[in-house]
Amino acid sequence: MEQKAIYDLLAGKLGEGAVAFHEDGIEPWAEIAVGAVAEACGFLRGEPSLDFDQLMCLSGIDWDGFDEAGKGKSVGILGYTDEGSPETSDRQAEGDLGVAYHLYSHALDHKFTLRIRLPRDRAEAPTVSGVWATASWHEREAWDLLGIRFTGHPDLRRMLLDDKWVGHPLRKDYVMPDRWEGVPMDGKPYSANPFPATEEPPAGGPKPDGDTPPAEA
Amino acid sequence: MAMDTKKTNGWADQDDVPEIKSELLELNMGPQHPATHGVLRLLLKTDGEIVYQVTPVLGYLHRCAEKIAEGVNYKQWVVYTDRFDYLAPMCCNHAYVTAVEKLMQQEVPERAEHIRVAVAELSRIASHLIALATFGLDMGAWTPLLYCFREREEILNLLERISGGRMLYNYMVPGGVRYDIPEDGWVKDVLSFITMLETKKIKDYNQLLTYNKIFIERTADVGVISKEDAFSYACTGPVLRGSGVKFDCRRNDPYSVYSKFDFEIPVGLGEMGTVGDCWDRYMVRVREIEQSCRIIRQALDTLPEGPYQAIELHKPVKVPAGAAYTRTESAKGEIGHYIISDGGQTAFRNKVRSPSFCNLQVVEKVGVGQMVSDLVALVGSLDIVLGEIDR
Repeated sequence: MEQKAIYDLLAGKLGEGAVAFHEDGIEPWAEIAVGAVAEACGFLRGEPSLDFDQLMCLSGIDWDGFDEAGKGKSVGILGYTDEGSPETSDRQAEGDLGVAYHLYSHALDHKFTLRIRLPRDRAEAPTVSGVWATASWHEREAWDLLGIRFTGHPDLRRMLLDDKWVGHPLRKDYVMPDRWEGVPMDGKPYSANPFPATEEPPAGGPKPDGDTPPAEA
Repeated sequence: MAMDTKKTNGWADQDDVPEIKSELLELNMGPQHPATHGVLRLLLKTDGEIVYQVTPVLGYLHRCAEKIAEGVNYKQWVVYTDRFDYLAPMCCNHAYVTAVEKLMQQEVPERAEHIRVAVAELSRIASHLIALATFGLDMGAWTPLLYCFREREEILNLLERISGGRMLYNYMVPGGVRYDIPEDGWVKDVLSFITMLETKKIKDYNQLLTYNKIFIERTADVGVISKEDAFSYACTGPVLRGSGVKFDCRRNDPYSVYSKFDFEIPVGLGEMGTVGDCWDRYMVRVREIEQSCRIIRQALDTLPEGPYQAIELHKPVKVPAGAAYTRTESAKGEIGHYIISDGGQTAFRNKVRSPSFCNLQVVEKVGVGQMVSDLVALVGSLDIVLGEIDR
């Protein structure tokens, strides 16, 4: 079925929950309200004429600083300075977060893309892990890396990072840590030796080039 | 059985025998465990020898490559795709450049696509050989490992001659491939290698492992993934096909020049037990090796002359604003890239849907109620690679 026809069916079901359908661009997509996403996914999965039995991908997105004009002028990410200290910025991050759902139906061989936008200060979306089991891990990953909280998720823990990690790395305003578990994160070679090597070898020690026998007295 | 024990032991009818108390045992399988195929940790709760709960713990190999993608340009990030599935890096290269080219709406020279298909299928064979070898090893068969690694070595040599790298190639670039086919008879050597593989080596594997009685006993009817579970957990690749679903992105959602070639999609038939058991998944891989050989032969027989790059190597790639999800079939399953571009030289967001990540999740359901030794068979038959799970 064509994506537009799928969207019309969905909009008939959701009413005001369906915001818009974007056909321009390579991949058409439907924008729906955050509150309607669980109902929408349940409908897309359960309706026999749609039968979306596979959630191909669930992606969290941070739209902060996105160049809407499409000129490639988005705000870059924060990395490390040349000296190895984390970069910081005075800019206040304010863009929305988002989630994209890519669906596929094996039975009917059609695709559909849903997107939602979440306000940055209230990044919460209902879980769809009850509809497709695979969503569970994707949502944990989105929580881990982007800090999107999926309400109703049975087990929303960090997926890839350590439980003690602070912050969500894929956010555009994420500041890199300078140290993790005592190890500097500046990318320079790390040595646990508390006595750093000096330029000059200690006096009286072996010569740098080796094993010339001492002159006989 | 229990009744017999009672009788023969002779003490079971005494009333003062205390009731045997049992409790769940927590067991860490990994992260340093040979049967987890990398640094995967499975947190098991076992009741005796029966698995009560499986909780995979990931992230030991996490590099946050998706964050790096937002900091380097499109061509520079091809290197990182090598490091996802390091057993079939050409497939990962192919997936990424296909996704970038789809957003750019870039035409790729026919010759480049044929070369890409040939090297990606060689990589797929190498990955499947590792899958057979390590799966056999998990089941206690040492010899197939040595046989499979011998043939993989040949593939690495061939890929080294075309790309310069043995394991991580960085061979494909948006718009083509980095180097043309070398003039030293590479095509002839590839064709003679796959002929040898088809006529002789696969028979060897079948004799050594596939129809081995012990191997069948260990894998048939073990770890059965039903069709419904495979859909719900978004399993793809040999795992999905092992469950009897005839789906392959190369055929059902064609990319590159796969639609030109004639090949079959092997599926699990339940020959030794139930459809979707470990043996079926294993057998799908063996048969896919044969089909990959067919594809390589067709791709190289009809290799067109002409350019192999559409964009000059030193020129940076600019991708028009837009977003698209592109899926391709890697050795492990469907590898998808969701790239959002703002029109610049760097991806605004690049989400990677890796097949092993989705395939592994199914152990949370299917692993429950199995013996611990059967869990090893299940994880081995999924053929995961931690580089692309942790990314």
